[in-house]
This record gives sequence, C-alpha cells and structure tokens, in this order.
Amino acid sequence: MKEHKERSKGEELLTQVLEECLEEDLSFVPPEGEIARTHRFSQEFEETMRKLLEELSKAYQKKIQRHFSPRFGQWAACILVFCACGWLFYQVSGQIGGSRTTEEMADTAAPEEAASGEAFDAGDEGLEAAAEDAPASEEEPESAPSGGAALEGRTYCDRTVYPVPEQEVPEELGGVTTRVNCPVLEEDNPILMLTIGNTGEEDIRYQSPSELQVWLEDAWYLIPAGPESEGEWLMLEAGMAVDEEINLSVYQIDHEARQYRLVTHTEQGSVGAEFTFSEMFEKTMEEQED
Amino acid sequence: MFLFLALLDSPEEQEKFTEVYNQYRHFMWYVANQKLQDAQLAEDAVQEAFFALTRHMDQVEEVHSPRTKKFLATIVRSKAVDLLRKRKPAEELREYLAEEKGGGDLLEQYLTKENYHYLITCILELEDYYRVVFEYKYLYQMGDAQIGDILGISAKNVNVRYFRARKKLQEMIQKEGGRFERA
Repeated sequence: MKEHKERSKGEELLTQVLEECLEEDLSFVPPEGEIARTHRFSQEFEETMRKLLEELSKAYQKKIQRHFSPRFGQWAACILVFCACGWLFYQVSGQIGGSRTTEEMADTAAPEEAASGEAFDAGDEGLEAAAEDAPASEEEPESAPSGGAALEGRTYCDRTVYPVPEQEVPEELGGVTTRVNCPVLEEDNPILMLTIGNTGEEDIRYQSPSELQVWLEDAWYLIPAGPESEGEWLMLEAGMAVDEEINLSVYQIDHEARQYRLVTHTEQGSVGAEFTFSEMFEKTMEEQED
Repeated sequence: MFLFLALLDSPEEQEKFTEVYNQYRHFMWYVANQKLQDAQLAEDAVQEAFFALTRHMDQVEEVHSPRTKKFLATIVRSKAVDLLRKRKPAEELREYLAEEKGGGDLLEQYLTKENYHYLITCILELEDYYRVVFEYKYLYQMGDAQIGDILGISAKNVNVRYFRARKKLQEMIQKEGGRFERA
C-alpha cells in the first residue's frame, strides 16, 4: 500500500537527497560476478535458501488446490474447446493438403530437414553413431525427426516421441556438471531447479532451456516442449554456477515413467541430471526389496 | 518457519522472487558485509532480508531495475543494523539517552535548497538505523505498518524511530551548518 499524502517541498528535497546518497553508496559496490568470485555462501545458507525456494512452490501448489474454483474449470473448458478446434482445423487442412503431388511434398520437406539438421548440429557425432548402430530399415516412421531415420518412435502421453541420438550422457564433462535440486520429485510439484556448474578454467556456452528426456523401456526419448520454448545459447563463466528453473507443467508428463533426465548441451558436449517421481521411486524401491 | 510464504500468491511473483535471489544475493551480501564486517553475520542479514522480501514483493516491479537494487540494499542494510544492535544492545540505550535532550522538530525549516550540500553530508553520515526509515518512507513510500513488518517492530515504534531520525538529522544539519559558517 502506498501513501499518497501530499509532500512538502522539504520532504521532496529530502527524498532527492536520499536517492542521491543511496546511489553514491551503491556506486562503490562491485558487480555481482566479481563479488561471487570472492565470496562463496556457506552450505547452511544455501540449504536454508534452497528450502525457502522449494517451500515457495509447494505453498503455491497447496494454495491452488485450496482455491480451485469453477473459474478455473471454465478456463480449462475453454482450453479444451480451443484444442479441439485446433485439431479439427489440422484434420481439415490435412485433407486439403493431401491432394498435393509427391514432388511438391518432397520440396517442402527438404528445407525442414535442413532446418532440423541444424538444430541437431551439437549432437551430430552421436547421431551418426546411433544411426550406424541401429538396424537398417526401409520404412521410416512418418514425420520422424531428421537423422532419426533408423530409430523408431514410441507413444508417450498420446503422442509419438523419438529416441535421442545421444543415449549415453555423462553427469560431468570437462568441468561442466548439472544437478537437480530434487532427484525424487513430488507429483504435484512442477518446478525443478537445475544447477549448471562450470568448475573448469574456461568460460563455456550452454543451451537453455535444457532438454527433458524420458526413459521408455529401451532408450531415452525426447519430450518436446511447447513451440514457445525456443532455445538460446548462454555464457557461463569459469568457476560460476547458474540455477535454471524447469517448469514441468509445459511438458506432458507421465508419472508412471520410470526415469527422466534433463540434458544440457554445451559446446563441449552434453551433460545430464536424472530424476524420478516419488510414487515411481517408491515402487522401484519396493520391487528391489522384493 | 516458512508459513508466511503463502503470501507470494502468483507464480509470476515466485518466479520474480527466485530471479531476485539469483541476481542480487551476492550484491546484498556485500552491502551487509560492508556494514557488519563479518561474512557469516552478513549471510544472516541476507537471509533475513529475503524472508522479509517474501512479504513485500509488491515493491519489486522490474527485477533488473535500479529501484529494485536500491530497495534490496535498504532492506539488507536495515537487517544488518538489526543484527548489529542485537550484538551491541548497550549502545542503543546510550543513544536513546543522548537523543532525549534537545528541542522540538524544526527539520522542515532546514530542508531548503541552500542546505542541499549539508543535507548530502548529513545523510551520508546519518546512522543506517535512522536512514533506512527515511528511505522506506520517502523512497519507497511505505506506511508505518509496512516498515514495521520489515523491521520487526510495531507501527508505533516506526513512528517513534522516524521522529528520532528527524531530530537527529536536524541536529546534524545545525552542527554542519555551524561548521561551514565558522570556516
């Protein structure tokens, strides 16, 4: 709540002076990165703040559950109607586009392949290796991502997902390491913190946001995020760490899946951090005990 | 311990809070450490500041703005002052006794453009214990109850501290003015 009292000229002058003094004081403070190099927060501090941030998202989730009202139901209904319309439009436009010749379709597919080929540049080596290892097959899965020619898609949450080219991803690579704040996540908590640390001596570039992948029986599969989540390359200085908030609600999550991982692509290669959901974790533990 | 967290009532605010934490925690620690000269105590001040911030995120409009940076500096300084005074309670009593003498509130008369330079010097010299109350009140236009919530005191005590701050500043301007005139 802000006070809207009339201020005297004297008070206005005092405000101006306070502002100027504060600016002068802060002008002596070095940049954040420089302070971070000289001071490392104690474990106790980090732990308390981690709990605080965790509690923040939990408290909000509980609040949502408590205050769930028909208004949210209406929103959900609107979204469903919107999705249904989108699906119908897709079906209709598919039928209209179905009359195109094979040549035309090939022409349109070519630039798409080139574009997605660029997106997979970072993992080209792994991709080629995976393609060589996989059994040769004449039939390519329909609309499979480029480079995934020999890899079959799988149904996950009513959509087809494809295996990632890099199946083996280390936790640490050349001083770059990633950790999730909670390796066993509650089903109702959609927020996960991923810490990317660069303990090496050189600055690195990494792609943000990280990729979410799921383990389905025989391999790791990529879960596509929404179209709005475009990746960008960011810089991480040597000796620094950065926290990335991963909002799982933008993905379709199957809590029955055994294992998930977040894969961060860097210029040097990829690193991954695995996590699971609590119910599945308990189930796995019980199975192991049996 | 974290019951008050429910006060951050939208995912945007939570996101903003996390961003503020990631962006400014080292800066806040530096500001606190300048005052306390104790790295561990400075961390405590930062923690306290973030706890208080959960209840006042409405003051943070843009994460990457000078205003936010200043507001965080004010919060963490006020928390550092609290910790300092908890460590040295006797000083507070001495100051309190020293403040009790002196005349009425004439500060308004001294707040003139002619006194601008004295004012700058005085504010820079004014103890943070008082200065933060001015900052909350004038820079961030917060009410006594809000300030009291951050400082962990009642609204009435905020008012008392505010009037003491005015008196203190008035005395300082009087002294500073006299010094300049003599020179």
